[in-house]
Amino acid sequence: MSEQVSIAEARIDRAPTVLKAYGLGSCVAVALYDPETRLGGMGHMLLPDRPSSSPLGSESKYVDVGICQIVDQLVRIGANRDTLVAKIAGGANMFETSYQTLINSVGARNAKSARRTLVALDIPIVGEEVGGNRGRTVEFDLATGKMLVYCAHTEHPVSL
Amino acid sequence: MPFLNLNNVQMDILKETSNIGMGHAATALSQMIGHPVKLRVPHVTITEISKVPEYLGGAEKMMVGITLQVLGDARGSIMLLFPQESAHRLLCNLIGDQGKVLIMNEVTISALKEVGNILASAYLSALGSMLHKTLIPSVPLLAYDMAGAVVDYVLIDLSKSSDLAMLVETDFIGESSSDLAIKGHFFLIPDPSTLDMFLDAAGEYQ
Repeated sequence: MSEQVSIAEARIDRAPTVLKAYGLGSCVAVALYDPETRLGGMGHMLLPDRPSSSPLGSESKYVDVGICQIVDQLVRIGANRDTLVAKIAGGANMFETSYQTLINSVGARNAKSARRTLVALDIPIVGEEVGGNRGRTVEFDLATGKMLVYCAHTEHPVSL
Repeated sequence: MPFLNLNNVQMDILKETSNIGMGHAATALSQMIGHPVKLRVPHVTITEISKVPEYLGGAEKMMVGITLQVLGDARGSIMLLFPQESAHRLLCNLIGDQGKVLIMNEVTISALKEVGNILASAYLSALGSMLHKTLIPSVPLLAYDMAGAVVDYVLIDLSKSSDLAMLVETDFIGESSSDLAIKGHFFLIPDPSTLDMFLDAAGEYQ
């Protein structure tokens, strides 16, 4: 069974569900997984940080608070906080000679925010497929904790 | 003003201004490819950001996206999207036989960017003269990838101030009836303050 995670959404589920995020550009998909209970979640986030004043929309729109929300929900349904691991994909810069420099592109800032948030939460990042200028589709299998990352211009997926 | 609060009259204003702008763009494109092209704006849609990739035919559908910033009296961005088959047909019209599949190289990229440039410039100059504003397009940027990946760039920009997006869908119709339609999507993404200004100025025409 597979479940789609659309833009600005987060989903929590258990094995054997496969969580899928289609067509990530500058957005990032952050997947969290507890291998013992085989509970996991994935968010499809747009923006690196939630602004402190008058934030708009759901928490899962923002990388920083989105990750915390997934962790909280996983713990609530019985995942072990101490065995959680994370995988990140996306954060590309689709338009190569963008107005912003590569370091400051929103894709790079999304990936950076994901790493920073996970480090602060003391959750190890066990796989990463970020940056570049290509779109990605992500499949996260809660039965195994494996993440497959597909690109439009290459034939075989990257396995994390 | 958030898109959600737009009433029918304001929606009509946006649709009509888009029709006029696109009319000018059609003339420019016709001159470029050497035979008449009509552009039609069948739909102006306001939709949730998360629904945009589905609206475009699915997040994994291959698309060519050309984006430009709007500079001058108003701020915002423009995104032109062509499904890969339409981009291919457009290129066949512009620079001759392209073989069976869309191939991106210096020539095709440059030609597609130029189409974006012409459409955006014509659209903005028509809009600008109607609203008595100076609107200038920036240099176009291009990406050829999955629809979701191409549009999230503008959706991210938009999502800072809105959870909704406005899409102007455009059909390009060639001269002969045998021409397979070239379809495109045109996003105009005004800053919230710009949308207010835009509606104020357009409202004076009523």
